[in-house]
Amino acid sequence: MVLVAWASAAEVYFDSRFTLWKDATVYIWTLDGNSPINANEFCLSLRRNNTGIGEPKCRELGEWERDTIATRYGSWLSNNIEKGLPSNYLRVRHPGMAAKIQALEDNIVLFLAPQGKFIQVAIFDETAQEPKAVGIVKANKDRIALSDDIAATFFNKRTKRRLTKEERLKMQTEPDDLYKEVPNLNIWAGIGIGYSQAHFPLTPSNWTSSHTKSRVRNYRITKDSVSLWNFIEDDDAFLSLYAGLTWHGFIGIEIMYRYSNRDMKTDNSDTIYQELDHWNFGQHDIGLNALLSMTYPITPWLDITPLFFLGFQYTFYAEDIEPKSGVKTPSRAYQYRIKFEDVYKGALVGIGGQFVFKKHYGLDLRAGISSRGRDIYEAPSPDAGAAPTTIGRSTIDCFVSLGFEYHWTL
Amino acid sequence: MTFKKSILFLGFAICILAGCADSYHWTASHPSYHKAPYGGIAVTGIENAFVITRSNWFAKRLEISTDSIQIKGTQHCRNIFETEMRKAYGNLIVLPDTANTKFPEESLKLDERIFIKGHIPEQGITLKDSVGSVPPFVLILHEFIIGTDLKREIFFDYALVHNESGSIRKPDNVSAIFSYTLWDNLKQRPLFSAVDEIQQPITTYKLSNLTNLIQIAVQKIRKNLAEGVLK
Repeated sequence: MVLVAWASAAEVYFDSRFTLWKDATVYIWTLDGNSPINANEFCLSLRRNNTGIGEPKCRELGEWERDTIATRYGSWLSNNIEKGLPSNYLRVRHPGMAAKIQALEDNIVLFLAPQGKFIQVAIFDETAQEPKAVGIVKANKDRIALSDDIAATFFNKRTKRRLTKEERLKMQTEPDDLYKEVPNLNIWAGIGIGYSQAHFPLTPSNWTSSHTKSRVRNYRITKDSVSLWNFIEDDDAFLSLYAGLTWHGFIGIEIMYRYSNRDMKTDNSDTIYQELDHWNFGQHDIGLNALLSMTYPITPWLDITPLFFLGFQYTFYAEDIEPKSGVKTPSRAYQYRIKFEDVYKGALVGIGGQFVFKKHYGLDLRAGISSRGRDIYEAPSPDAGAAPTTIGRSTIDCFVSLGFEYHWTL
Repeated sequence: MTFKKSILFLGFAICILAGCADSYHWTASHPSYHKAPYGGIAVTGIENAFVITRSNWFAKRLEISTDSIQIKGTQHCRNIFETEMRKAYGNLIVLPDTANTKFPEESLKLDERIFIKGHIPEQGITLKDSVGSVPPFVLILHEFIIGTDLKREIFFDYALVHNESGSIRKPDNVSAIFSYTLWDNLKQRPLFSAVDEIQQPITTYKLSNLTNLIQIAVQKIRKNLAEGVLK
């Protein structure tokens, strides 16, 4: 009940969140010098209503009361305060008045003007040429109650510690931590680990199961030879080494090398493999990526660079095969086992992000798709029908990687 | 059928072009502008607002010597303006220009790119007439430019003001471009501001045509003042 009565006694028209300093200095500005509140009482009201305010100082603003320009603006303001009127319509137009407001430093001006049964309240600080908060409170003969009312309505907010003169000066001359010129050239080198697999996440498994479930019998027989994943393991970890540069923080180029060791998918039910100790292929990818990126300085010690990359790669397979130590002459099928092409050519596309800490130490996350295939621009030969089919004509997989980088800027 | 289509297309093209040309806001109302002045108004600025460009062209047609076209032509415009305003508002108070021009010149924003420049009274100071009473509404006429084939965006869009006009050719229209503010003299705030443009096709140009131009202008001001009211 008390709360309702108290709430109806005051109304805030707008409040654009002025800074309330701890140990604030509040100047009470009235047009006729007859302040409806007492400065000292108001200070006590502030302390009662806002425990964080420390030791405020309050006094009447005689300089403005006696000043013609200020009085004209004050009477104009009192005349123009209306509910629903945006603050910019209350802007100071006279340059002399604007200068007075600018010279307030971090003191707060509390404008009070009686209007009928109410008292208009406007609050100014140095940051704006218009009131920061405007409202009305119910007029009250009891000055202490009125002070409490104003303090509770407009000054009941979190306070900030006021900076000392030296701190203010230091703040003004301090460089902006996030200010940074885009370097002409950003160079990095990194080492990473990753994982690639033929099956794309979130796609039906039957899209790739014919490749992933395939097994090689008799050293050379599979259902299909269109993808390398019919022959060798289709999900494996890889190691990568790479180095790149971005030009003007926007466009870049990167050279990379990846290595993974892939086991052959031998069909263990085939007895011919009993002679075999191991059979695997080292996969070497060498590629070149073009990058598009944009750097966002998040904190002074972290820059985030989302990037998009598109590139091509060459893939070589180095075979490692060994029959068991007791086997002197391997089987005939061993001699005529499958051979991969000398080189496969493919493309890479993907997105990623570089997180660079302290300007030098980068963490790199990437995800993308890569392909390997035969050079498609080969002219068809007349005996194409008789030629053996190319193994791994169209091989696609996806990958994720995590890299650790060192960055330089030029 | 194709004819119909082409007409339709032309219609669209005109709509789009007209839409683009009119994307400016040429008026601005104060949120507290709820009632247009009726019955009485004061005007100021009319002594110096009128400017006639292309003096030679007007001098020849209005049969006034080139030397005195500015003085006589603008005097005529001012008289007609006053007469028309008096007809429209009955109780018309004409304040001398100096009542308002003693205040510094300021800019009033109508649109992102449109700014009116003009003198407006200081906050807290009311304009008074010769007997010392305070008229509630004052129409401040900032500028009234009369010329041929003028476009208001060339004058008021700050991105275009440095464009040079094309070569002088045979004009199609006599144009008037005028900016004004309805001033709330009691609360010292601009209730309504606008830049208007009138194009008057030329057949033969006589003094009566100039009179007519001013009459149209006054009608347009009154119409805009009424339309600018925020309900």
